[in-house]
Amino acid sequence: MTQFDDAEDDATPVTAQRPVSDEARSEWSSVAHEDMNLRAYRAAIVAFVVAVGGGLLAAIAYWTSETETLLGVGLALALGGIGFGLVSWSKYLDLDEHVVQQREPLRTTPQQDADFEEQVEVGRQTVGRRKLLVGLLGGSFVSLAIGFVGPVGSLGPRPRGERDSTGWAPGRRLVTLDGSPVDLSSGIFDQLATVFPDGMIGRDDSQVVLLRLRPELLSERTIDDGALDGWVAYSKICTHAGCSVGLFGVDDREPDVVRQLVCPCHQSVFDPTDGARPVGGPATRSLPQLSLGVDDEGFLVSNHDFDRPVGPITWDEG
Amino acid sequence: MSVFDRFSRGDTDDAGEVTKRRGLVERYVDSVTSRTGGGSFVTKSLRKVFPSHFSFLWGELALYSLIVLFLTGTYLTLFFEGSQEVVTYTGSHEPLQGQEVSAAFDSVMRISFEVKGGLLIRQMHHWSALLFVGAIALHMARVFFTGAFRRPRDLNWIVGLTLLLLALAAGFTGYSLPDDLLSGTGLRITNGIILAIPFIGERLAYLIFGGEWPGTDIIGRLYPVHILLIPAAIVAVLSIHLALVWRQKHTQFRGPGRTEQNVVGERVWPAFAMKSIGLLFLTAGVLTAMGAIFEINPVWLYGPYDTAAATSFAQPDWYIGFLEGSVRLFPPWEFRAGGFVINTLVFSGILIPGIVFGGLFLAPTIERRLTGDTADHHLLDRPRDAPNRTAAGAASIAFVAVLFLGGAQDVVASTLDFSVGHVTTVLQFAMILAPPIVFVITKRTCVELRDRTGPERTERRVPVERTADGGYHIPDDQLEDWMLAGGAAPGHFDEMADHSTVRGKHAHRDESDPVHADEEALDEMRDDAGADR
Ligand code: HEM
Ligand code: FES
Repeated sequence: MTQFDDAEDDATPVTAQRPVSDEARSEWSSVAHEDMNLRAYRAAIVAFVVAVGGGLLAAIAYWTSETETLLGVGLALALGGIGFGLVSWSKYLDLDEHVVQQREPLRTTPQQDADFEEQVEVGRQTVGRRKLLVGLLGGSFVSLAIGFVGPVGSLGPRPRGERDSTGWAPGRRLVTLDGSPVDLSSGIFDQLATVFPDGMIGRDDSQVVLLRLRPELLSERTIDDGALDGWVAYSKICTHAGCSVGLFGVDDREPDVVRQLVCPCHQSVFDPTDGARPVGGPATRSLPQLSLGVDDEGFLVSNHDFDRPVGPITWDEG
Repeated sequence: MSVFDRFSRGDTDDAGEVTKRRGLVERYVDSVTSRTGGGSFVTKSLRKVFPSHFSFLWGELALYSLIVLFLTGTYLTLFFEGSQEVVTYTGSHEPLQGQEVSAAFDSVMRISFEVKGGLLIRQMHHWSALLFVGAIALHMARVFFTGAFRRPRDLNWIVGLTLLLLALAAGFTGYSLPDDLLSGTGLRITNGIILAIPFIGERLAYLIFGGEWPGTDIIGRLYPVHILLIPAAIVAVLSIHLALVWRQKHTQFRGPGRTEQNVVGERVWPAFAMKSIGLLFLTAGVLTAMGAIFEINPVWLYGPYDTAAATSFAQPDWYIGFLEGSVRLFPPWEFRAGGFVINTLVFSGILIPGIVFGGLFLAPTIERRLTGDTADHHLLDRPRDAPNRTAAGAASIAFVAVLFLGGAQDVVASTLDFSVGHVTTVLQFAMILAPPIVFVITKRTCVELRDRTGPERTERRVPVERTADGGYHIPDDQLEDWMLAGGAAPGHFDEMADHSTVRGKHAHRDESDPVHADEEALDEMRDDAGADR
């Protein structure tokens, strides 16, 4: 049995270390000779052979196979074979051992504490004597930090109210993704379309869901806020965290009355017949409604921009 | 001649003359140590003792998946392009041909379809990331439930938690790089959460994203963060973590001969090293197999990010699941006063994760306050030995598990054919009720297990010799090893042994002072066997 109880003390000279005794040495050799675990030995052989085969398989597969599966399997066999081989090898050597080593104390002694404090105090008195210099050094660091504010600020522009306006303006046409305007008389009921302001297809803050619902379903305030002939338009950006509210559903149980807009991200539900007020999920605010009008050619236009910021709000936009 | 023999040859005598011819390895090592004075350190390191237990492997597993991450990640950087410049996809994946995509997405498509071996490496990278965080979580659970986080290792607990945060950040930034629909949606939600922060939210969001969402900067910014800043921080903090393990030595479970003052186990060289390097290759092998066989993050199915689109069943990588759940389950509450608003995202996206991580950081302090135990601990508890701690840990896991389910509440609902609203409500209640229930049940179970006395069986091969009178005898040089492995004291042994594999009981433990009892048993045994060296 080997016992190394030399506490890991750097003061212990190398020569004074308990030698790797003959006894330890004979332990290893005896283990290797007497206690041959043949199964582990064979397992190691098989594993290394598999590893060799795996690497070759990978190389061949790279050149001959269309897909990468065989390449990967070959590499996996090579790596896994080496790993399994090493573990089996160590099993075969029966390296399980129980060596006792002493822990050295980690806590400082009162003497060490006192030494430390004294040393710090010496420094403090030496350096701290010139109060003016200490104060100026502190001031320099603060000013240095201030000096770096500029470059950090360059990372992004200062907000200048971009969030207060979108691409919607009086008389601007609603166009679908392929650029076509929407005819007032065209809509099929209960079908959702994503529209943008004419000329701004893809502009993030101006994405809008457009729906035509049977007019009798719409609440009064929905009509007041700019529904037109059953057409309603809402900002498509979820007021919860900003995903696109892309799902429109007709409730199976009450197909005549219940219409829902659902955000796929956290399952907020909005009621498009009543100003897109939130009726389920984590959203707290309704989707801003776009007031609709019609131009001389009979296409849907916006009457004006949204009357509040779209999407998730900042703390002072409440 | 044994391995060991060869490596211990070639000592220098007092005059510094090499007395025997030395091997290549020794000569190279010596050429460094004799210039740095590191000789004794190296030797001590090789002899350093590590206790072995399967649960001590999780940390190693995390380390090895990190190595795979570094290697595969470096390969990916050779092809990836961190840019949101718009290009037209012209690669070989037909469904997307002609679509406008970002250069980042385009390069990930190229890695997946054009670079031979690229998809394999990419999938390995992703699987390694999932395993990396998983291994960290298991490692942390082991440290918690065995009380290894107590003084003096409360320091390393904090270092470890920093590593967990870095790992999550690495995962999230990496996951966001391909600029596909799923990860772009995740970034957008992040933008929403940042906007909600009181006072500085809007400015901060503008700084990070380079202006209003979506901007054209974010992928290019995440890239150096993902491949340089975070990996460098991980390496730095990990070095501290491992140095502390080395310095403070590993904890060990209670057992014969194990005390607060010693550590019983295998030496680094060769026993520990051989198995551990084996584990490295096994881990790499399994990850390669997974990368080869199991598809992960098929961005070509999600398509490129498009600000006006979003998909259902959009679940992030598993380790973000609890955050996703918090955001989904938190009720629609917000507080308004004087034109200002504390948005629901402040609670669900910032406060709840803050509480989870705050609790983790404070765990050692809380336990110290509650138990008044300020002593150093090197012997581990079994989970049942500390019912309150174990129950608190289980309750916290229950809470996070409910959040995790909440992150996939739409999937749960459609699987069980319930409405999403109902599942959400049930989970909201579970969020509040599950922790106390789990606490009580766990505590009861622990107390019961702890009080149940029964033999603990261990098995260990030990060579026995037949004595002249027909009895059995363990050779002296094997006796101590046998005891340390949990073998019975010789007295019991005679009655029990009738074949070469002996099943033995732990020497009966005096619960009030187990360490001492075992020490005494060991001493006695040494005397008996005359094995005092
Ligand atoms: C030096 C270390 C690393 C480097 C050089 C690196 C490099 C990269 C690169 C270039 C990509 C983009 C290519 C792609 O998405 O396919 C990527 C993606 C990714 N990285 Fe890393 N990475 C490193 C470490 C990590 C770590 C520590 C984690 C997680 C804990 C991680 C998780 C991810 C994930 C989840 C992806 C997305 C992969 C995918 O597209 O499926 N990475 N990494
Ligand atoms: S972003 Fe729509 S529910 Fe969260």
